[in-house]
Amino acid sequence: MAYEAPITDYDHIVENCTCAFCGCNCDDLDYLVKDGHVVAVRHACRLGASKIMEDLDQRLLVPMVRDDDGELKEVDWDTALDKAAEYIANSIRPIFYGWSETSIECMKEGVALGEYIGAVLDNQATICHGPSLLAVQNAGYPVQTLGEVQSRADMCVFSGSNPMNSHPRHLARYSVFCRGYFRTRGRFDRTVVTMDPKFTDTAKVSDLWVGFEQNGDYGFYNAIRAVLKGKELYQDVISGIPREDIYELAEAMKNAEFGTLFFGLGLTHTLSKQRSIDIAIKMIIDLNKFTKWGLTPMRGHFNVNGFNIFMAFESGFPLGVDYCRGYPRFLSGETNTIDLLTRGECDVFMVVAADPGAHYPNGAVQHLAKIPVIQVDIHWGPSTEIADVVLPGSFIGVECGGTSYRMDGVPIYMKKAIDKPETCRDDEWIIRELKERVMKLREEPNVAPKYVPNPAAL
Amino acid sequence: MEYILKNGIVFDPTNNVKGEKKDVMFKDGKIVEQVSDDAKVLDVTDKLVMPAGIDPHAHIAGPKLVVGRMYRPEDSRRGATQKTSVIRGESGFSIPSCPATGYRYSRMGYGTVVEAAMPPLEGKHTHEEICAIPNIDVPALPLFGNNWFVFEFAKENKIDELAAFISSWLKITKGYGVKIVNPCGSEAWGWGKNVHGFDDKPPYFDVTSREVVKALAKANEKLGLPHSIHIHPNDLGHPGNVPTTLETLDSIKDVKKNAGVRDQTIHCCHLQFHAYQGNSWKDASSGAEEIAKYINSTDHVTCDVGQVTLDETTTMTADAPMEYDLYKLSGLKWVNKDIEFETAAGIIPVIYSAKSPVNTLQWAIGLELFLHIDDPWKVCLTTDHPNAGPFQRYPRIMSWLMSNTRRMEMIENGEVHKWVNSRTTLPTIDREYDFNDIAIISRAAPAKIYGFEDRGALTPGYNADIAVYDIKPNEIDPSKEYEAIEKGFSLTDYTIKDGKILVKDKEIVQVKKSRTIWTNVMGLEKEEQAVIDGIMPFFNQYYSVKWENYPVHDHYLSDPIRVDVQASK
Amino acid sequence: MKTITFNQKKTSAIALEFDELRPDDIYTWEKADFDNYGVPIGNSRFPLTDYFDIEIEGEAESPDDVKMILNGDMGRVKYIGCKMSGGEIICNGDADIHVGAEMTGGKIFVNGNVETFAGREMAGGYLEISGNTKEFCGASYMGEWRGMTGGEILVRGNAGKQCGECLSGGKITVLGNCDILAGIHMAKGLIEIHGDVNRWPGGQMKNGNIVVHGKLGRLLEGFVLDEVVTNPEIDGKSFEGKFIKYTGDIGLNGKGSLYLDAIANRDKLGEYGEHDDEYTSIREYRNL
Repeated sequence: MAYEAPITDYDHIVENCTCAFCGCNCDDLDYLVKDGHVVAVRHACRLGASKIMEDLDQRLLVPMVRDDDGELKEVDWDTALDKAAEYIANSIRPIFYGWSETSIECMKEGVALGEYIGAVLDNQATICHGPSLLAVQNAGYPVQTLGEVQSRADMCVFSGSNPMNSHPRHLARYSVFCRGYFRTRGRFDRTVVTMDPKFTDTAKVSDLWVGFEQNGDYGFYNAIRAVLKGKELYQDVISGIPREDIYELAEAMKNAEFGTLFFGLGLTHTLSKQRSIDIAIKMIIDLNKFTKWGLTPMRGHFNVNGFNIFMAFESGFPLGVDYCRGYPRFLSGETNTIDLLTRGECDVFMVVAADPGAHYPNGAVQHLAKIPVIQVDIHWGPSTEIADVVLPGSFIGVECGGTSYRMDGVPIYMKKAIDKPETCRDDEWIIRELKERVMKLREEPNVAPKYVPNPAAL
Repeated sequence: MEYILKNGIVFDPTNNVKGEKKDVMFKDGKIVEQVSDDAKVLDVTDKLVMPAGIDPHAHIAGPKLVVGRMYRPEDSRRGATQKTSVIRGESGFSIPSCPATGYRYSRMGYGTVVEAAMPPLEGKHTHEEICAIPNIDVPALPLFGNNWFVFEFAKENKIDELAAFISSWLKITKGYGVKIVNPCGSEAWGWGKNVHGFDDKPPYFDVTSREVVKALAKANEKLGLPHSIHIHPNDLGHPGNVPTTLETLDSIKDVKKNAGVRDQTIHCCHLQFHAYQGNSWKDASSGAEEIAKYINSTDHVTCDVGQVTLDETTTMTADAPMEYDLYKLSGLKWVNKDIEFETAAGIIPVIYSAKSPVNTLQWAIGLELFLHIDDPWKVCLTTDHPNAGPFQRYPRIMSWLMSNTRRMEMIENGEVHKWVNSRTTLPTIDREYDFNDIAIISRAAPAKIYGFEDRGALTPGYNADIAVYDIKPNEIDPSKEYEAIEKGFSLTDYTIKDGKILVKDKEIVQVKKSRTIWTNVMGLEKEEQAVIDGIMPFFNQYYSVKWENYPVHDHYLSDPIRVDVQASK
Repeated sequence: MKTITFNQKKTSAIALEFDELRPDDIYTWEKADFDNYGVPIGNSRFPLTDYFDIEIEGEAESPDDVKMILNGDMGRVKYIGCKMSGGEIICNGDADIHVGAEMTGGKIFVNGNVETFAGREMAGGYLEISGNTKEFCGASYMGEWRGMTGGEILVRGNAGKQCGECLSGGKITVLGNCDILAGIHMAKGLIEIHGDVNRWPGGQMKNGNIVVHGKLGRLLEGFVLDEVVTNPEIDGKSFEGKFIKYTGDIGLNGKGSLYLDAIANRDKLGEYGEHDDEYTSIREYRNL
């Protein structure tokens, strides 16, 4: 990494902005603004800073509609919105996906539109921490805010997560290196354990690396639970870890004063899927019989937790909410985006602040290529290539204010620092416009003539 | 728009109206004495008319609710109903979604519901949810009982600073009053421990629950807030907690009241959970009589009950250590949520079964409290929603209170466990509530306790919050027709909120935005600034958010109702 | 007996939902009722007769007298027999999600493969699948800890992951193989697997029985070897042969039993007995 001289040429500083990258939602950033652009960011990690310092070559600036030749053509806002509204109004099984990189205020409009037309609303959790949410539904959710970790934790375990690369400021700001009220020496007062098949960068800064074999997580945590119950292990090596090491680790976990488990996609997407998290949560719950333990899923996008929270209070379900019958319902495997796409059920797909073209499995993207796709985003991406209507939004936390929820559920108001490009619109405005246009085009489907209470709830 | 509700049988305890046949008139959202001839007539001849209900203690919005909904999809699907042209699709039974919460309260004739626990750090979240709940006004009570700053002030007995802190935190969180949950216990839970009794200290803090509660009560009265301290004492749900409860209530005896709008200096919530005698569940029995005797003999205490309704529900409280104890009993999924330097929370699903001796005991203790406390102005109807049961069950509780026949039937038919005979006094009580008593415990008393001066009565100038039930009080015998009572109170003929007809003939016909109510203390600006300056070094070093991100901005409030209070110097 | 035959005219890419076409709903229906019925597809309803020719024969007094025959590819028809309490459904072709979910009585026969969640939260009745089924056969709803409480499921082919999740009663028989975590979280009931099992059956089980006649890939540490039993009687049913019996999942003080065919799984015995002399009888079986 070559030395870069500090930026000194700027007009003014906007303090205490919130980073719109990962689930850490660091709210202590200073933006250096010159001529209405952010030219430098203080306090942010490289990931956050590079996202905030907008790369204008890739910025979507003008609404576009794909013409008969299959080329995206620049059009005015009315044409683009009308086209998108027409697609949505004529749809039978629409999916509105994304939302994790936009604000709660925009989601409010989204849920109104989704409820009106009877769509599936889903977010990136369906391809990342969805298994964690399913496991939470089975096992529970012992969490704490990150300030608790900072001030109390003397043992931090990272399982299937590599925050040194994915959440660079997490260790410094919330969990490992920071000095807390009861952990005045910071890193020296904490034991850090990394559980990962790979020797990651986080493992390098840890006191202990538990390199269990791939897909061995369920067996490994099951063994720890058995040890916590006082059982002897019979196999010499469990999931690639010698039995003695498991005894030692379980003992260390029991003797911690306050422990926290952070887990990432390395745990959610192994063979046993949600069950790996399920048993990890149960292990944490067991540990609370001896001492205090909690956990936090390492959420990826800055508002992926926000969507789950928002949908839970609006509909009662955290993700994959299907409104097609006029009431909210959810079942993993039935109402999730990937299942609907690979089964070829979806007929109109709206992606708001996400990039399914880059992240989805092949089968799902193949179906996306066949159906109308509406993209609301700020950046060009693989999804743009399969989009039929492109609506350029604005950058939450930089060009537009909005609410987001940190990975531990703390709400943060992300303030506006600069003006958006003239031709772009706020995400919230775009979805509201779509809603109003759809309402004109199609009568609300699936409306009950009369309120009928659910007998199961009486 | 002018309206006249004609010929209803009106119960308005605040104005001493007990079942008179009279007209209720309202104009532009307020009750008035006279309307013009153009007024629209709503004929409610012989039907029961009351002010709209006020729920003094429920958990309907906030971070722990959302985790409850997130992790209990099996509860959410139980209440799923299809949207209509007026209302959105509903979901949930014990933890309904935000829209469902508003609609269901509205159908029961309720107009105001107090959200009883708001962690200041996540106040924005609570207010976002309040905005998502339609049709009811929601004041929220921020949590102070385990706040580190409060500990510091209490330890050094700095009541003036504490008062300034409270007044500033009410502004910051847009809160209404002071909520205390398991004082010192939730902090101890930060280390996986709890406090036992009223004089215990959490680790690393040289302060007892007694000191915290007394300091907060003194500061509360110094400010003269419309609501007194609202306390969930230590040792909730543990057999043998009666002494702790009584000590807690008695410790405030000498604090001088400083607010004309209310009578009490301490409000004890879900008292049923704090009225267990014995040493363990094996020999547990009811302590309701002893506690009721204490409340009857004093006038500084009010309470709400937290009546167990014998349903499958979800318990959620800021008393996190107690939830872990419950988890150890049931083994079902457990949620814990610790909030830095402020509070903690726990959630588990719970099945209250009439076949279970312990649940029957809890059910009976709740009813005993209602029936042993002589003055209905001192007791409010709650289920501590959703802890002891969902709020949709209020009508059933009303029917139990109004019908000794029904209670004896449940006891004699073996619908509830036989512990009710041996461990409680419930079978020996034949008191029955009348409609006036019901109107007090569900409307007038909560309004008085919260110091509301714009609702809870049909006084001219008050908000036109009115409920009309399909019950004819002069014709019905509640003791025998308990089923009709339950049905009648479940769905209103009219629910009127701020002069708008929200429910007509048991159906929601209109939806309005909810509003929050918050207390604005005036005259302490300098003291508040001094307190904030004093805690800023700690805040900057240890809180995981910036100060700028801590307060609830106006962005999160829709049309709030501000209650101004002049602090006495 | 009333026989209602649905002959498929065309398939739909978007799934049809049959939750309002249970025998309990349609036993009184005449031809005209079917003609007027709009079947939910996505956010809309379309005439059922666009998709099916309906033939009705005979009369029915109650749902129990109804026999529904579905001919065609039902791979995009969800909720067949969901919440039904009586009658019989014969599906000649593949079926989609939720076949027989929450059913309390009656019988369903599927002559084909079935998608996920077959027999979810079944409380009674009988469900037979001639082909394979995917994940969560006989499982519970998300977050629900009370899964299938009664009835019987027979899968003639293979079953997917987490078969019998949270099983709280009833019986699941799989004649083929089973993927990972069969009987996870189960509390009661019986799962019998005639084929092989990938790994980790009975994870975090509290109680109940799992019998595996085939070969087991990998066993969890939470299972403690009990004994080798001959011709055991499990859940009121007698089994022939020698079985290795484990108790688990010890991580939560579970008392469930896992029976593995001793001959197919004799390698499992090799892992034991080295530490302890109690297992002498096991050493004998090791060389079976």
